[in-house]
Amino acid sequence: MTPTADAPEGAGPPADPSPAEEVSADPTPAGGPVPGVERASPAELVAAAGAGDERAWAELVRRYTPLVRSVIHAHGLDRADAADVHQTVWLRLVEHLGRLRESAALPAWLVTTTRRECHRLVRLGRRTQPFDPYDDSVDGHVGRLLLVDAASPDEDLLRAERQQALREAFAQLPARCRELLALLAADPPASYREVGDRLGIPIGSVGPTQARCLARLRRCPALAQYVRPPASGAEGTGGDRDGAVAARR
Amino acid sequence: MEQWPPAGDDALLAELGAALLDSGPVPEEFLDTALAAFSWRTVDAGWTVAELTFDSACDLAPAGALRSGGTDRTLTFHGGPVAMEIEVTRTGIVGQLSTGCDGRVSARTPDGRYEDVPMDAMGYFSMGPLPPGPVQFRARTAEYAMVTTWVLLR
Repeated sequence: MTPTADAPEGAGPPADPSPAEEVSADPTPAGGPVPGVERASPAELVAAAGAGDERAWAELVRRYTPLVRSVIHAHGLDRADAADVHQTVWLRLVEHLGRLRESAALPAWLVTTTRRECHRLVRLGRRTQPFDPYDDSVDGHVGRLLLVDAASPDEDLLRAERQQALREAFAQLPARCRELLALLAADPPASYREVGDRLGIPIGSVGPTQARCLARLRRCPALAQYVRPPASGAEGTGGDRDGAVAARR
Repeated sequence: MEQWPPAGDDALLAELGAALLDSGPVPEEFLDTALAAFSWRTVDAGWTVAELTFDSACDLAPAGALRSGGTDRTLTFHGGPVAMEIEVTRTGIVGQLSTGCDGRVSARTPDGRYEDVPMDAMGYFSMGPLPPGPVQFRARTAEYAMVTTWVLLR
């Protein structure tokens, strides 16, 4: 669905749905990186999108949709609500492109905005659906609500950011590494023999190749920034983590 | 604080697997709506964007505020010195722009459908129920043009 299909004259956005096809056809990075936007930092993408670059926007959507979805998922919304929140977050980002331009804090902004919209719907749901199969007392509702709100937001955020960092690092790996690691990380994992057959490499080199690919994964900028001296992690505040992810280049 | 990424290759592989699985195949409608959002980028260039500053669904009402009967939800947007208040009821929406002045208010959805109603001299307006999904209000008077941030009314 594009917004232009049935827009009244003058009320809809300009008609140019062209970037949609490329990205939706290949939402995973398995096809190999497109030079340019794939390696751009969030700040560069935000600046380019703010200046009207649709490829930069498509890359932002491709790169951060999993992050937004993982936050939504943590709130247990149904699919319609999840889709509404997702759409709202991206519409908000369009509005905010100009204001985010000087900041690299896009992932943190996305997480915060998504959480807030989820909370809105969770609370509205409480009011519009008075029958809770587990507990229909007012206290029950309040308790459930507090539980949702207090579901350790820092852990949510931390988990979502780490997964995002892993996916970003993974996307930067050479295609063969991605294929091999995807097979071995699947549930259930492929056997070394299957991996060897699929990739056409001797079974004896699957293990060493896996080790090399994982080492390479660790060195990717998206992950390397997390590696810190062992004794320095005493603070571990959300702000540090936001900064760490946001400062990635 | 625990070390991350995990030092062991097995643990790292397991986390990678979870991350790739969680991202899963993204439903196409999710990508489509996110990509399409970009086409709104320049539509209201130059209009004041009014941020949502109060939502009875998740903010505590200011002391003394009293919801009128039948109101499900109250929202306030601020754009510069001007505020827009929206009350959502079962039968639709009533609202007021703080700069009471003749003008028009419209509400629109991401696919471009919209409702457009007049504002009276006190800045009051009303419209029917809006469809589910994100909506955005725009208000224009002789001196003022503002557009609210997108919001889910349900």
